[in-house]
Order: sequence, then structure tokens, then C-alpha cells
Amino acid sequence: MRNRATTPLSKPKLRQSWSKYNLFNLQRLRNPPTIAKTFFQQKWTAKSMARAYHGEQVRESQWARMFSRRIRSVVPMNPVKLAEDDGSAMSAGRGSGLENVTYAEQGRANSRLTPFTQMTFAPLERRLDVAIFRAMFASSARQARQFVVHGAVTVNGKKMRYPGYLLNPGDLFQVEPERVMFATGAPKDKFERREGRVARRKASETTAEAEAAEEGAVAAEETKESEVEGKEAEQEAENPREALKTLLAQAKSIMAGNKDAMSAKRKQELRGFQKAVKRVLSRSESSTVLTDSLESQFSELTLLLKAKRTEKKNDKGSKKEQKQSAAQTSESSSATASESQPGEKLTEAFRQAAENPEEEVDTSELTDDEFDVLKRALVQMRDNPIDSSKPYATPWRPRDYMSAFALIPRYLEVNQNICAAVYLRHPVARPGFSEVPTPFGESVGTSAFAWYLKRR
Amino acid sequence: MPPRIQNQLASNSLLPFLSSTSTPSTSSSASLSKLPISQYSPSSSCSSRRSSRPFSSTASTQTKLRNEMFTWLKKEGEALKNHTPGSTNYLSALRFRGEEGQRPPSWPFPLNPSFVSEPVLSEELRNDIYERVVVKKKSVRAVSVELGVDMRRVGAVVRLVELEKRMKQQGKSMALPYARAIHEMIPTTPLHDDARGHRFKPHEAINDLPVHRLTETQIFYPVSESRQFNRVDAGRVFSAAPAQEHTQVARNASDPAAAVSRVTQQPSTIETVGKGADETQVLQAADMRIPHPHLVAHQRHRLEKPNEAREAQDLYKKRLKVEETAEKERKRISKERAEQKLLKVQPEASRFEFRFKDVEVSRETVGKDGRGSKAPGHRYGVPSYDRKKGQVKIPTRVEV
Repeated sequence: MRNRATTPLSKPKLRQSWSKYNLFNLQRLRNPPTIAKTFFQQKWTAKSMARAYHGEQVRESQWARMFSRRIRSVVPMNPVKLAEDDGSAMSAGRGSGLENVTYAEQGRANSRLTPFTQMTFAPLERRLDVAIFRAMFASSARQARQFVVHGAVTVNGKKMRYPGYLLNPGDLFQVEPERVMFATGAPKDKFERREGRVARRKASETTAEAEAAEEGAVAAEETKESEVEGKEAEQEAENPREALKTLLAQAKSIMAGNKDAMSAKRKQELRGFQKAVKRVLSRSESSTVLTDSLESQFSELTLLLKAKRTEKKNDKGSKKEQKQSAAQTSESSSATASESQPGEKLTEAFRQAAENPEEEVDTSELTDDEFDVLKRALVQMRDNPIDSSKPYATPWRPRDYMSAFALIPRYLEVNQNICAAVYLRHPVARPGFSEVPTPFGESVGTSAFAWYLKRR
Repeated sequence: MPPRIQNQLASNSLLPFLSSTSTPSTSSSASLSKLPISQYSPSSSCSSRRSSRPFSSTASTQTKLRNEMFTWLKKEGEALKNHTPGSTNYLSALRFRGEEGQRPPSWPFPLNPSFVSEPVLSEELRNDIYERVVVKKKSVRAVSVELGVDMRRVGAVVRLVELEKRMKQQGKSMALPYARAIHEMIPTTPLHDDARGHRFKPHEAINDLPVHRLTETQIFYPVSESRQFNRVDAGRVFSAAPAQEHTQVARNASDPAAAVSRVTQQPSTIETVGKGADETQVLQAADMRIPHPHLVAHQRHRLEKPNEAREAQDLYKKRLKVEETAEKERKRISKERAEQKLLKVQPEASRFEFRFKDVEVSRETVGKDGRGSKAPGHRYGVPSYDRKKGQVKIPTRVEV
């Protein structure tokens, strides 16, 4: 199927996509004027606007068959209210209760009307490709469709190649994590692409060597991981130096592994890490435990590195940001510390190491916050390594403007770690809220619904 | 031939409604001619146009719009490029930010405040749910009430965490940095240390009553003023069932909890109306149709005896247990029945297992002419349309 889902600026149409063009169009969007327009014109514009977003990959006749004028809705009930009376008070007197309802109360009730017509396109949310997009596994519905067609999606553990498959409540769908990382990650820049090319060429030249090295690296990683897990389970009092040492060794192995394929900047960064780790090792002899609990917070290694680099260049502007982010990390780390004691101890140890005035300032001017950040960054290097063979920029970071579209509707339960989601139920409307993510206002939704009622 | 002047009045449905500025100004967006006039930085767009097309007198809309877009992305849109961990970063907040210093709005689409980005379960809460259900062997119903999470969601979380554990065991690759980034971008429900936190700030409404089709109509039903017309009676009116007898009404009124549990624990005893294919169950009151009917009984007990908190709690646990055992029993019986109906034969040294099901031939199952849609096997004389144009062959379900 040819992709007609373009996002032009001159003839703008909103799409199910995370592109910046779409964002700009979304920002420009206004409700269509109804003055001096016939009812037919209003309905036509509304339906064509809405259909460009909702299931443009579905033929109009196909959608017309899917459309249902019955819209699912629920009313949240309060068990206390149900227990208080059996409903006879409401029907007492002449059928509307003995007491007169004041206008103020009526107004309050009206403000929470159920937005039924915003749910016009709810049947399309059942489609597999749309559900994948809604679960944030793909950057557009078209990409989600491609994933399905290319066989990267399973439903209930079986490969499903039909993007038009209508999910049933309880269906579990899963996309290959690598595809999701590619779809949602920032793209490579040209240097990274070149690195990949060079690495591939080198790999083809000396396959045997590369294989051996990889095996070694993988083995090292595995042993390290098992070590960390074992540590968590077995004893708390084990030396944190071991863990840091293994991390250091890993950094070294990365350095040694793809020496030629790395840019000079990356190498410098890695060397900085190694030095810093050495320094921590020399200081944190008294600290107790190092566990996984701390590694859960920060997402992007590169973001931090960038912040650090800019700080070195122009001190003031980015320093504040760095401080803020550091404050956030300390908050979050304290939150995790309340759960697990060792995390707290470790942070304390780090603070002690940093507060020590004997510190040498020769390697790089690192504050205590930065030590913390460094530690996280090192741990994340294991999760999120620099790997030129990946189709996305490594270490992984979210693509630009992704956060403006980041939402997960309630009818899905998503586990991002394994890129799997369960379609819990069909989307429903409830007083004041609809569950179908649509960028259009009430007027468009209502007119589009009226169009498909077929009474033109 | 001179270059064609591009028609500004091109018929596009969306164009008139897209304002060129970030500030909503209805006058400028309404008039088509004003659209291309950018209000950001006319000088910059003009200069760039001049440089790119020095000898052309034609207004090039495309470049202009692109210029506009990139200036917007550099100025206002800059805030949307990267997220700040722990808070949402939506377009609607962008307009909001200039006005007040309050919490940013939680709807991602500026024009649609009825769709709100609702929080998802945090990693810790998800693992806690799994532990409660799988390790502590609590029922899904109990966990749902404790944490304020829908029962279907509890089940789904258990499935997903199970799958995650299996994948970790098999050493399959996971999208950990991606998951971390997503949880930073969207609101999450944290795991509270005490049960109170979850009671006062539940993840979602757990007692959603689905709107029944029968209740969508408006019915004028005259009732004498002296009659206590309650929810049960309303349900009967909606499903066109005759009014209950006085003795029945009195019995239900004396012990409403028993009346509810009778229906929820033995759904097969619900009264039916209609005949043949139109036979349907009488519409029950909201007390029976919500997912957690036992909570109503619990609240009623608390209202009647407000000073016996501990007793109420004990009773609640007892009620929950009864509900669970009834559910289990019902499942066991239905499974047994299905097994009884099915005869399994596996010949020796055979790969196959043959399953025989008894066929009931009646007017209801196969119809008058024996060709009903529920009839078993190939229906002779009924054409199969599966090769016809437009026949959909996408599977409708995938068995787990």
C-alpha cells in the first residue's frame, strides 16, 4: 500500500504520527468556522478532517461498515452512594424526587456531560496497527502497519501479519524490542552512520576475530550481570569495588573492541569515565554495597554528557540545568533509597568521597552531583551501550518531539520493557472524558458522527 | 510560459482552520488571504525567500510555510523537543505557560480537553501487583480493591510481568532505556507504602457500570405515588418484565445483601423474559452489575453499624472469600460440563486425538430447514462465499 499519509504544510492534514511537521500542523489547528456554512458543508469538512487522522489507511467503505452509532460508555459508581439508598428517593413524588433540584446543581451535572461524539472513531482503535501506535511502539500508524506486515508483531504469541486484525479484549500483542527502539529512538547522524559502515566492513574482513571478541565481551557482560544479581541475593557486605572494577573493565573492553570505529569525542568521554571510576575506587573503600537499585532512574547517557560538555564550554547557562537535573536525581535516589537501604549507603559514600577536601582536581572538575551522575551513566552504559551496528543512534535516546505525543490510553496495559501490551477492553466514554485520543474538538467530532449517521 | 501563480484559495478542508500564528486569532484564521502572512518574523522569511529565489516574482508558499514552521520549532516549539523527566510536555501546556504558573494541563491535544493523558502503572506498582497475586496468592478481586486497579488490568499485569520474567530468563533483548524514557514522559501512579494512599488516590475507578443498551431508551412509566419505586423496579421496566410480587419485594428489602449475592453468585438463577430467540435475562440493578458488588454490602454494614470497624472488616473478608469460592465453583462446574460433552479418543500409536461432540438438532440450533448458521458441519446447498470478492479472511481471534 502506497503511503499517502504525508504531512504537507500547504494542504495540512493531521496524521497519527510524531513528526515535527505534524506537531506544527497540530499547533495551527483551529475549530472550523460554522458561520455561513450549510449543515452539509460543516459535516463534510468535519468528517474529512477527522478521517485524515483516524484510519486514513482504511478505505472509506470499509470504515463505513465498521462505524457503529452505538457508543460504549460507563458510569463510575460509588458503593457508598449505592449503599445509602435503593434509588427510590430519586423516583419519589412525581417521578423526579421530592426535593427540587436547584439550577446550580443542574449546572454542575451538565458540566460533566459524557462526550459521546468524541468516540466516533472508537471502532478503529481495535485495529492492530492503531493499537501498536497507541501503545507507543511505533512513531506513526503507518510504521506500525509496516511492523505488522514485516512480521515483527505477535498476537498471543503467534505471528500476526494482518494490520487490520481487530483485537479482542484480553489479546496480548508484542513487537520486537529492537524495532521499537528503532522507531522511537533518535536517528543516527552521519558520523554514526559512517561508524556503522566502517564496523561492518571490518567485520566482513575479519569475521573470525570479531566473533571471538564479541563472545568474550558477551561472556564478560553475562558474568558481570550474574555477579550483580548474585550479590543482591546473597550478601550485602560485599565490596563495591568489585562491581566498579568490572564496570571499568567493561569500559575498557568497549574501548579496545571498536577502537577505530569510535569518534574522538566518544573516546575522550570514555577515558574521562575511566579516570573518574579509578578515583572513586581509590576513595570508596569504606562504602558497603552496590546494587541495581540506583540504575533505574536516568534515561540518557548522552544528554548528561552533552550537559557536561556544554558546562565546560559556557559555564553558567547549562550549569543551572545540570543542577536541576542533579536535584531531581537526588530526590529520586532518596525515593529509591527508602525502599532499599544499600542505595542510600552508596549515595552517602559517594558524597563522602566528594566532600573530602584532599581530592585532586586533575582529571576533570567533577562535583558530588556529577559523581552520582557518573555512576548512573556507567551503570546505564551496560543497558544502553554504544553500538554502531544498531539502526538508531547509540546510546539510545528518545527522538525529538516525542514527548509532545506521549500518551497511553486506558484501554491498553503496556509493559515497555518487553514491548508488549494487552488490549484490556474496548474504549469507553465516561462523564467528562473520552478514551479515544483525537486532536479535534467537540464540534468536529459531533459533525463527523452526524455525517456517518447517513441522514444527510 | 510564465510561471503559474499558485492559487491561495485551494480547496482544502483543513487549511482555513489552521492559523499561522501561535496565538489564537479568529479574524486572521477565518480569512484565507491572510493565512500566508506570517506574524513571527516577516523579515527573516522574506530574506530567506529572496536569497533562495532571487529573480522570481512568484510567491512561493511552500518555502514560506517551511520557514514559518522552522521558526516556530526554534522559538516556541523548542520546549517540546526534549522532555523534562517526571512531567508531561504537551502542546496544550505551551499555550498555558504564558498565562499562569500553575500545573500544566494534562490533555495532549489543545482542542480536545475531554481526552486526558491518564497515569499508567509505575514499575514498582506493577511488580507489587504481580507479587500480591502470584507470591502471596491473593485473589485478583482483592488486589483490585486494595490498590484501586481494574480487575482486567490486574490480570494483564500478571501476564505481562510473567512474560517479562520469562524473557529475562531466556536472555532475550529488552528495551530498558526506552521504558525508562516513557515512564519519565507520561504520568505514573506510584506505589504507596501504606494502603491508605491507594484508597485515597486509586489508579482508576474500579466500579464502572457499563451503560446497558436497554437503558438508552426513555420510557414513560406511571407509578402510584405511594409505591417505593427503586433501581430493581426500574430495571424490570426497562426489560419489560412484570413487577415483582409483594412477598418478593419484602424479602429483598429485608436483606438486600443476600438478594445481591444470590444474583452475583448464581447468575443462572436470574429471571428471564421473552420466548425463543428473544429470551433475555431481566436487567439487574446497578448493585449487581458493578464489578465489585460486595463493596456495596460492606458499605451498607458500615453505615448501619458505624462503631464496629473491625467487625465490618472481618465480615468484608468473609464476604470476599465466599465470593471467590463461588466463582471458583462456577468455573469448575462449567469446565466439567464442557468435558462431559466432549468425548476424546486417542488411538494407540497415533499422533491425533479425536474429539466428538454431541449434536443437538432442534429448531433453535439448526433452524427449520436444518441450514441454520449454528448448525454443525458443512451445510449442503448453502453456497460458500469464501472465494468471492470482498470476503475478509483476516482471523477474528487468536487462541492463547
